[in-house]
Amino acid sequence: MSNKVAIIAANGGLFDAYKVFNIATAAAASDKEVQIFFTFEGLNLIHKQGMHALEMPAGKEHFAEGFAKANVPAIPQLLEMAQDLGVQFIACQMTMDVMGLTKEDFVDGISVGGAVTFLEYAKDAAPTLTF
Amino acid sequence: MIKSDVQLDAKGLACPMPIVKTKKAMGNLTEGQVLEIQATDKGSVADLAAWSKTVGHQYIGTNEENGVFYHYIRKCNPEVSEAVEKSFEQTISNEGAIKEEGIILDVREAAEYAFGHIPGAKSIPMGELSERMNELDKAQTIYVICRTGTRSDLAAQQLAKAGFTNVYNVLPGMSGYEGELQKEVE
Repeated sequence: MSNKVAIIAANGGLFDAYKVFNIATAAAASDKEVQIFFTFEGLNLIHKQGMHALEMPAGKEHFAEGFAKANVPAIPQLLEMAQDLGVQFIACQMTMDVMGLTKEDFVDGISVGGAVTFLEYAKDAAPTLTF
Repeated sequence: MIKSDVQLDAKGLACPMPIVKTKKAMGNLTEGQVLEIQATDKGSVADLAAWSKTVGHQYIGTNEENGVFYHYIRKCNPEVSEAVEKSFEQTISNEGAIKEEGIILDVREAAEYAFGHIPGAKSIPMGELSERMNELDKAQTIYVICRTGTRSDLAAQQLAKAGFTNVYNVLPGMSGYEGELQKEVE
């Protein structure tokens, strides 16, 4: 059985962030090796400023109350926890070039890589998830 | 109130926090100790059982009281626990131990016992055996049981060394027991 979980984060909203980081921290807490490949809007989730201002999907803003009531941790807190548990973050080089972003725009501890970097990691991972 | 070695308060926390906290707390336990996790997240009921299975710890059970879930997990080392050789020579099957005259001594942790034991079995957790041996009668036949026969093997050796002669290790143990269970929790 594979002990690796590979995740592609390709979307940049608040809901996307929860899907990505919840699964990632849960997997890491279950002793799995976890790598997340952030590409296109997914880069928002690890952007130093962007991750503090992730938006809810249009028309779903009323869920804010539910998040508070359920005592769901904030994204920066979840992100830190994921890193704490050893989750590896890979930012997509090509998307960064397109968007004019550099490694310094992102949280500490990430690495930058291309599609092959992720594919190499994911080739024997199970499951591979896309959000 | 079920006995545990370490208690973790995860009340009010949403998924995946109870799991993350449990993982961290488990790191501070020694093998064989029992962790109690107090949580209000309803998802924790299924999640902690699944987590234990994935990571290789023993999920003992969950008890709900006034909206709080009390989960019990016993720390295991999956690489060694099942592979340990049993060396105590006198053994008996589960069925044999129940049928024959004598007492069944359950040496699992108090929480494991609380979530289901053979009716009438006496509980003395392995770690308390040396100081509680005076509760046992040397004239009686003692059938020592645990989950898989490993702890009961050690307990039987300990009893034999202390002068108990009619001692049997019950195999396979509670993991293979399908009869009636007596519980101390609802």
